[in-house]
Amino acid sequence: MTAIETAAVPVRRLEWQLAEVREIVVETSRVKSIILHVTSWQGHRPGQHLDIRLTAENGYQAQRSYSIASPPEEELLTLTVEEIANGEVSPYLVGDLRAGDQFELRGPIGGYFVWTAAIGGPLYLIAGGSGIVPLMAMLRHRERRNSRAPALLLYSSRSLKDVVYREELDAMTRRDPDLRVVNTLTRNQPDGWRGPRRRIDKALLGVECFPPEQKPKIFVCGSTPLVEDVSRFLVELGHDPFTIKTERFGPSGV
Amino acid sequence: MQEAPISRGFRSRRQEQTPKNRVPPGQYVTTDFPILSAGPTPQIKVESWNLAFQLDGSLLGKWSWVEFEALPQTTIKKDIHCVTKWSKLDTSWQGVTFDDLMKAVGLAKPPQAYIMAHCDGGYTTNVPVADLVGGQGMIATRYDGLPILPAHGGPARLLVPHLYFWKSAKWVRRLRFMEKDERGFWESLGYHNYGDPWKEQRYDGD
Amino acid sequence: MTENVSDLVLDGNAAAGLLQEIFVPDITIAQIQCEACGSTGGVGSLRLYAAPMGAVLRCNNCDGILIRAVHTPYGRWLEMRGARYLRY
Repeated sequence: MTAIETAAVPVRRLEWQLAEVREIVVETSRVKSIILHVTSWQGHRPGQHLDIRLTAENGYQAQRSYSIASPPEEELLTLTVEEIANGEVSPYLVGDLRAGDQFELRGPIGGYFVWTAAIGGPLYLIAGGSGIVPLMAMLRHRERRNSRAPALLLYSSRSLKDVVYREELDAMTRRDPDLRVVNTLTRNQPDGWRGPRRRIDKALLGVECFPPEQKPKIFVCGSTPLVEDVSRFLVELGHDPFTIKTERFGPSGV
Repeated sequence: MQEAPISRGFRSRRQEQTPKNRVPPGQYVTTDFPILSAGPTPQIKVESWNLAFQLDGSLLGKWSWVEFEALPQTTIKKDIHCVTKWSKLDTSWQGVTFDDLMKAVGLAKPPQAYIMAHCDGGYTTNVPVADLVGGQGMIATRYDGLPILPAHGGPARLLVPHLYFWKSAKWVRRLRFMEKDERGFWESLGYHNYGDPWKEQRYDGD
Repeated sequence: MTENVSDLVLDGNAAAGLLQEIFVPDITIAQIQCEACGSTGGVGSLRLYAAPMGAVLRCNNCDGILIRAVHTPYGRWLEMRGARYLRY
């Protein structure tokens, strides 16, 4: 991040606001996108997240954080949520929530894990499972801005049907020769699958990458084991640790 | 206090019917056992574990795991209350009471009024001795009849169920008598010094 | 409940909401140096423990505590004894 980028961060008091669900979109069997209208949303940068707060009739409250999936160019906010088995909030959001429902949210939060087109590339994105969400906001923003920054997404999922945003990513790569997406499927692969078939390891990162000399902006998002392994491998492969930004995803209390 | 908007149909999945008068104010009963830790789970081998009992820098007693297991064992069934608002009813614990630890080192009366518990990983919490004696406090090694899991504080944790559960320090290794009360990890950062759930003493100032 | 406890560990990004109540500029973008071992990293990348009681951010290298923060109805607490400096 350049000095200009950090100094220009506007300062706002975070306050709880009301969000109304406009639409729910099924992404995979366990993942849905929730499209929200927030009256006085001030805008956000790709990679940021927000906190949501649900209040039950008996006053019980639960609070969770979710990355914003939509780019700042969209008027409505999108959150993409994976249902965690035995969770408390995600099954409500993925199973019960419907258009017209309301909850509170505050944000945008987090200036660390952020990429904007002004920062430039190459952009090197590594995701595991639902860690794709903040990276998708970055890619959607990159496309809206007609950024020519070369971008590579290395995305690990259990099987093809678990790849979130698959059709949209395919369409993006068809439209944009400067964007590459490499899917690795760790548990099941369809017949004829020619892509990688394992967890992201050092060898895969060595092959699917921008070389360290190009000083790519690197963003890694997924479970803590994935994030820590990938960060370590990237440093071993010669990438400057200061160029690697990480975000651990997980059930923050499910 | 401003009313927060209700999210239609949302309720805690873990909630049961809350029996009246059983649960302190502001608490919700859970069937889960949530894990909250201030640091990574220490991987402690019982072969190298020991528990020290200290007074003014000298050792009143020190027990290896085998020696500790040979002390009188007590089983209790109590409700526990976390300051983050979950309560768990009728939890069963086994271990050595504070009274039996005092007896084991030959103390008929506590020499000083406060205890600081020191734990693997650096966590600390302070408890008045008056809240540990008379069967109110123990060093627990079993939950529900089984060895306490590392994530839940095993091999041994302090158990003081009548106070908020942050006082039931996980991975306890040392109990130190104190002449004057000193604040532990959370007590020195805004949480209540005593922590009575029935008086809702969550934060300093409550 | 998740079986793998390490899946429960998040990072400074998840504490940003709490920290932003204390620090008006977003400190998750700052580099922070550990007092105990001298290693440096982004605040956003530090391992986060103890939510929802508060935020305990630990050094990725030595697990030393760098930042502790609590939000109470009576005020917000912050301790940074374990950090040598923050650099924006």
